[in-house]
Amino acid sequence: MDDQGCPRCKTTKYRNPSLKLMVNVCGHTLCENCVEMLFARGSGNCLQCDTPLRKSNFRVQLFEDAAIDKEVEIRKKVMKIYNKREFDFPSLREYNDYLEQVEDIVYNLTNNTDVENTKLRMEHYQKENRDIIQRNKAKLTREQEELEELLLLEQQSSEQRRLEVLQEEQRQLQAKRKSKQALLDELEKSQVPAKLLLAQHKVRAAQLETEIEQQKQNVKPTSIFSTGIQIRQNVCLQPLPRIEEVLYQYKPIRVETYGPPVPELEQLGRFGYLNHVRATTLQEAAGGYTSALACHRAIQDAFSGLFPSKG
Amino acid sequence: MKLNIDGLLVYFPYDYIYPEQYSYMLELKRTLDAKGHGVLEMPSGTGKTISLLSLIVAYQRAFPLEVTKLIYCSRTVPEIEKVVEELRKLMEFYAKETEEVNNFLALALSSRKNLCIHPEVSSLRFGKEVDGKCHSLTASYVRAQRHGNPNQPVCRFYEEFDAVGRQVPLPAGVYNLDDLKDLGRRKGWCPYYLARYSILHANIVVYSYHYLLDPKIADLVSKELAKKSVVVFDEAHNIDNVCIDSMSVNITRRTLDRCQNNVDTLQNTIQRIKETDAAKLREEYRRLVEGLKEANVARETDVYLANPVLPDEILKEAVPGSIRTAEHFVGFLRRFLEYLKSRLRVQHVVQESAPQFLKDIFDKVCIDRKPLRFCAERLQSLLRTLEITDISDFSAVTLISNFATLVSTYSQGFTIIIEPFEDRTPTIANPVLHFSCMDPSIAIKPVFQRFQSVIITSGTLSPVDIYPRILDFRPVTMASFTMTLARTCLCPLIVGRGNDQVALSSKFETREDFAVIRNYGNLLLEMSAVVPDGIVAFFTSYVYMENIVASWYEQGILENIQRNKLIFIETQDAAETSMALEKYQEACENGRGAILLSVARGKVSEGIDFVHHFGRAVIMFGVPYVYTQSRILKARLEYLRDQFQIRENDFLTFDAMRHAAQCVGRAIRGKTDYGLMIFADKRYARADKRGKLPRWIQEHINDGSLNLTVDEAVQLSKHFLRQMAQPFSQVDQLGLSLLTLEQLESPEMLKKIAQIAHQT
Repeated sequence: MDDQGCPRCKTTKYRNPSLKLMVNVCGHTLCENCVEMLFARGSGNCLQCDTPLRKSNFRVQLFEDAAIDKEVEIRKKVMKIYNKREFDFPSLREYNDYLEQVEDIVYNLTNNTDVENTKLRMEHYQKENRDIIQRNKAKLTREQEELEELLLLEQQSSEQRRLEVLQEEQRQLQAKRKSKQALLDELEKSQVPAKLLLAQHKVRAAQLETEIEQQKQNVKPTSIFSTGIQIRQNVCLQPLPRIEEVLYQYKPIRVETYGPPVPELEQLGRFGYLNHVRATTLQEAAGGYTSALACHRAIQDAFSGLFPSKG
Repeated sequence: MKLNIDGLLVYFPYDYIYPEQYSYMLELKRTLDAKGHGVLEMPSGTGKTISLLSLIVAYQRAFPLEVTKLIYCSRTVPEIEKVVEELRKLMEFYAKETEEVNNFLALALSSRKNLCIHPEVSSLRFGKEVDGKCHSLTASYVRAQRHGNPNQPVCRFYEEFDAVGRQVPLPAGVYNLDDLKDLGRRKGWCPYYLARYSILHANIVVYSYHYLLDPKIADLVSKELAKKSVVVFDEAHNIDNVCIDSMSVNITRRTLDRCQNNVDTLQNTIQRIKETDAAKLREEYRRLVEGLKEANVARETDVYLANPVLPDEILKEAVPGSIRTAEHFVGFLRRFLEYLKSRLRVQHVVQESAPQFLKDIFDKVCIDRKPLRFCAERLQSLLRTLEITDISDFSAVTLISNFATLVSTYSQGFTIIIEPFEDRTPTIANPVLHFSCMDPSIAIKPVFQRFQSVIITSGTLSPVDIYPRILDFRPVTMASFTMTLARTCLCPLIVGRGNDQVALSSKFETREDFAVIRNYGNLLLEMSAVVPDGIVAFFTSYVYMENIVASWYEQGILENIQRNKLIFIETQDAAETSMALEKYQEACENGRGAILLSVARGKVSEGIDFVHHFGRAVIMFGVPYVYTQSRILKARLEYLRDQFQIRENDFLTFDAMRHAAQCVGRAIRGKTDYGLMIFADKRYARADKRGKLPRWIQEHINDGSLNLTVDEAVQLSKHFLRQMAQPFSQVDQLGLSLLTLEQLESPEMLKKIAQIAHQT
């Protein structure tokens, strides 16, 4: 940033560390002094691009690249108008298209391409969507809300930690004071020699000290992993029992029909059984149905138990 | 030998076995049976690797449907090579014993830098350059362009592999990196892509941690690995730091400047393409409007490892409209970049949470959370569309977009710290934005969820129960094994006082204390007179080491030491250090004797073994705590306390002790090795420190070696070294710490073995 300077008076940050660079809507830089001089009357034209400027619109330049300052300025303005949220759109796709459109407008305005048309477009949009803009003004985007919430949580937890530490300190201080008071009381009332009492007190004080130390070190231990399993839970380390079984083997079923053998599925057509059965329609065939199936079943039913054996 | 482990026939390629190896295999078998995760600690040098490999291979052979793949993750390339060599031995043993053709495929995978055989690309020095160059030769659109323009350079090895390599599976066998390269040269196939393709059907894959833990790489390499795999993380004592590093982002002013260049290039390229080939951009636009559906389908069928960077919901939704077209996206990047620049211009340290950052970015540059979340994915798509060949140039903008995605995805477990200068140099402005992950479980969660068994193992994992807590998983076995020894070959001594009774400690208050430094010097001096060959001394930090060495020089201690041994010093420069190491080994080898001064957490402490005479004594000067003033560490400690109820002190001590154990463990690399371990700080004598050392070291610390003076320590070491110098042969070990098959199967030995594993 040291090599940046005012284009008019050629002062640089290096020579004048307190140099303040300002930037206006057109994105061209001037130092504070030059702004005071050139815009003494409140308005004038930019030295570099002749855009009419107002003095009140000059801002301190935040970024090294003044174009970014300009862009951010424009972007903020555009965002005030184009403030629709994701839930204003029926689908994500449309929302993304909308975002791109906004981006286009900002791009055009910053790069001075097609400014007139873009401005017209913006005005048009503003008129059309006046109530939505009004309604959304106060609302934050969902992500913004999330962020706020996180920040709040963070603040709360740090505040709580601070309070806890404070309370702890207070408690310790009180305990110390109490023990001192107790010693004084005892020295006043007791008949025991003072030396002994002092020695006793010393021991007690040391005890108190170690207790405090311990408390400081004591943080509550977690008992649970983030996976939800208890930390010291006993888990069986034995290998899982391996079940050894004979593999299942398919054997075609044999049905005893006590009669002549039932014709096979493939034979039905040849023997003419299918002649009087309704043919499969196109829709049924799509599902894998053939008329032979039903026919076969019916014949099986008919054949079974024709000549039951006696006894 | 053939072992019967709990009903499983295990081929073990050696004639003898250590009892703890048998016990280790038992525990491992139980873990695999229960299909759960395990944490196993076994001392280095007791054959962890071969035990792991032989059991899991046996398990794979016995139950090929239960465990389909072993993924073995190690840290460095030499370690990967070592694992493959062990595996080769095992496979040869199988071939000899069973006399049938083995159809096991095992291979190592490493980066392009280690695998490339393209004459031009492989001559590049840095990994990033190799990756970039390779991409510029093999990217799909480069190859597509070749159809129209035959002069377009492509990699002939990749072309050859793509043409025929995919149809023919890699023949069974064991391949290390060199084998792959040889094969590649012979067949003219690219070994890197061949390896990457082959890991999908390999039985055993050996590669580095990053291929599984770093979400950016894991997504490319490991996402299609089968669920029924066993994952082993070896040398995993630092796994939490690896996880954290893989999710953290550091942004400096330089990154942003480079990013600015990237964005400019992007814009120019878009402009150019728009004039020449607008259809391409339109096609991308159409795809984005439809949503990233292809990726979504793949994940639904559960063939992918979930990517923590890219949460599921992104895949279900289309890219938001505001960054759909390329120009808008570049504008978006520009705004984000300028915002980061303005943030880096701070004068004081800022620490904030992700939601605070998001709120601020919305207020300042109107960037919503949702487009941020899609940033990484959108950038990848754009880079693909623009057909940018050299992606290594775009690392800066990729980094920034990853940061954008991470910061908007996770509201917890991360913190943003902006430091305008380094703590040590408060006058030099060097702003850094640390986006630091505080929860190692985020990076490793997909691994635990996806794979059936994950084994975390190392020589130093104590206390074992802290790892499940910081990594947030539920192991079915947690065990720590000791080393059964025929003779006590390690001798840990805690030196707490100097000869003048000054307490020795590296704590902050006594850092500059002359008496302490002098006594440390005395300790080293006296040890250099008694210990033969090599001594390795570890300090807590580079700064501390420099101070002490300077002060020793002034006091003339260095001169006295040099009469006994040569002195070598580890520095932050890797080349210098490896030179020092080489010379140190030379001095040990020819009998002159040497001392290596190095730093805990440094290169030497993590990866270099000092076997036998290279390290007869290790002296640990002080307790190697991390630099506790760093804000990142503080934030992490706070997070650990709030989320996992781990006290700051507990974690710091745990971290210091695991590094101390790593350092002293460098000297003992096997049962025939011996070495002194000297802990020179009185704080080691406390129960809370001592209790966090690994069990195999703790066992040998008795009350007599707790708070020694330098003199007493020297006496004890003399005694120890004289004992160790006696001849020692394998026969002495047999039956005690080394077993034959018959000895192993005797009932009393089996009973003894059951006690080795220490369940927690």
